[in-house]
Amino acid sequence: MAHIIKILDGFSFIPRAELTVLEALEQQNVVMEYQCREGFCSSCQVNLVDGEVTYTTEPIAFIPEGKILTCCCQPDSDLIIEIPGGCTIKKP
Amino acid sequence: MPLNQRSDRCQQANTAQTIPAEQTMTYTTFNQAQFDAIKEPMFFGQNVNVSRYDIQRYPVFEKLIEKQLSFFWRPEEVDLTTDRRDFIALPEHEKHIFLSNLKYQILLDSVQGRSPNVALLPVVSLPELETWIETWAFSETIHSRSYTHIIRNIVTEPAQVFDDIVTNEAITKRARDITRYYDDLIAGVSLYHQFGEGRHTVNSEEVEISITDLKRKLYLTLVSVNVLEAIRFYVSFACSFAFAERSTMEGNAKIIKLIARDEALHLTGTQHMLQLMAEGKDDPEMAVIARELQDQARQIFIDAAEQEKDWADYLFRDGSMIGLNRDILGQYVEYITNQRMNAIGFEPAFAIKQNPLPWMNSWLNSDNVQVAPQEVEVSSYLVGQIDSAVESEDFSNFSL
Repeated sequence: MAHIIKILDGFSFIPRAELTVLEALEQQNVVMEYQCREGFCSSCQVNLVDGEVTYTTEPIAFIPEGKILTCCCQPDSDLIIEIPGGCTIKKP
Repeated sequence: MPLNQRSDRCQQANTAQTIPAEQTMTYTTFNQAQFDAIKEPMFFGQNVNVSRYDIQRYPVFEKLIEKQLSFFWRPEEVDLTTDRRDFIALPEHEKHIFLSNLKYQILLDSVQGRSPNVALLPVVSLPELETWIETWAFSETIHSRSYTHIIRNIVTEPAQVFDDIVTNEAITKRARDITRYYDDLIAGVSLYHQFGEGRHTVNSEEVEISITDLKRKLYLTLVSVNVLEAIRFYVSFACSFAFAERSTMEGNAKIIKLIARDEALHLTGTQHMLQLMAEGKDDPEMAVIARELQDQARQIFIDAAEQEKDWADYLFRDGSMIGLNRDILGQYVEYITNQRMNAIGFEPAFAIKQNPLPWMNSWLNSDNVQVAPQEVEVSSYLVGQIDSAVESEDFSNFSL
């Protein structure tokens, strides 16, 4: 079932099911921080305001409560997330 | 120090008063006591005896070790012949930027190649953490070797570059702040191992040794290590990648990419240690210390950011480079400092919200770190990770 991702102070969208949250956000042209893209650098962390995610690979980085590592998780329900520094759209 | 002076000092130290035997905690390389290793705290518990990984208090350190091992690389795999031509063609002020950054990184990795071992191994209490510290420091020695590889390839007199590191004021000024927390901890721990807790007179000086105080020193050391790996390195990375963005010094950028991948892993290790301490489940006293020292720890981040901005002044004193100048690099320092503070639960110190160098991410991405042209090394590759369970029915389609 498709889930909705809502970005606080941003917009909502329905991601393609096979994408990680990071890939889904990038596909929407949201400016995202990343480095390793495999769960150990914690650059792509965002606040999870509401919802559940499943990790596709188990992350090594320390994930504080209330945060998710977007590079290695997929939505398990509708999500409300908050991007540190705000939601910025990439200029074409 | 001449030998005779040193033995004088030793003698003086040996005359220290008040050494109740039960208070001395001499380090032992193989602790004969029987204890449950999984109940020990990360630091200042029992000395480790058996290096065993069948049971682990914090499996994350084992995962870090495995990841680090899968990252193994050798500097010589990266070809630098075009870098030599590129370097000769650089204008003087850009040569200054390039070499200064390299010198600074040499200093940082010289420190990191030995200090985690010297400072942390004598007080560590968990086998998986002990091995992580050793693995971590070892990978820093590869970085040091890669700088020699780079310098040998691009300049005719490598010694001039290396010799300048200990005399160059812009570099030595920062070396003090990088090493002082390490040195403080090492000095404190060695006194503790000699005399144990209590008040002692050493070299006619009154010293008070307490585990609590050593734990404070340890906490500040880890914060300053985190700053070193998570902020200071990234200033040099930014310059290296700025060169490569213009398709120059690309071999160097490949090496820096490999170093950046390692450093991202190391800083995760340090963040785990700091967070475990702050939570208090590992050692309740550590949580009290983390709260007590939060302002001081925050200040270490802010001071380092200011120092790195000063360094940007020095780098660009004779002129900027295309795509990077003092102001932009300064903003990047603030941005990355905020990110790192956030990661260990500190309130960010600077107003900046957006990454002023968005192209850094794709350079830092380690998904496909290409070493030799004929091989793309996938970083998650692990030897022996194939499914070896073969049942006889797997051959049912075969007929002879």
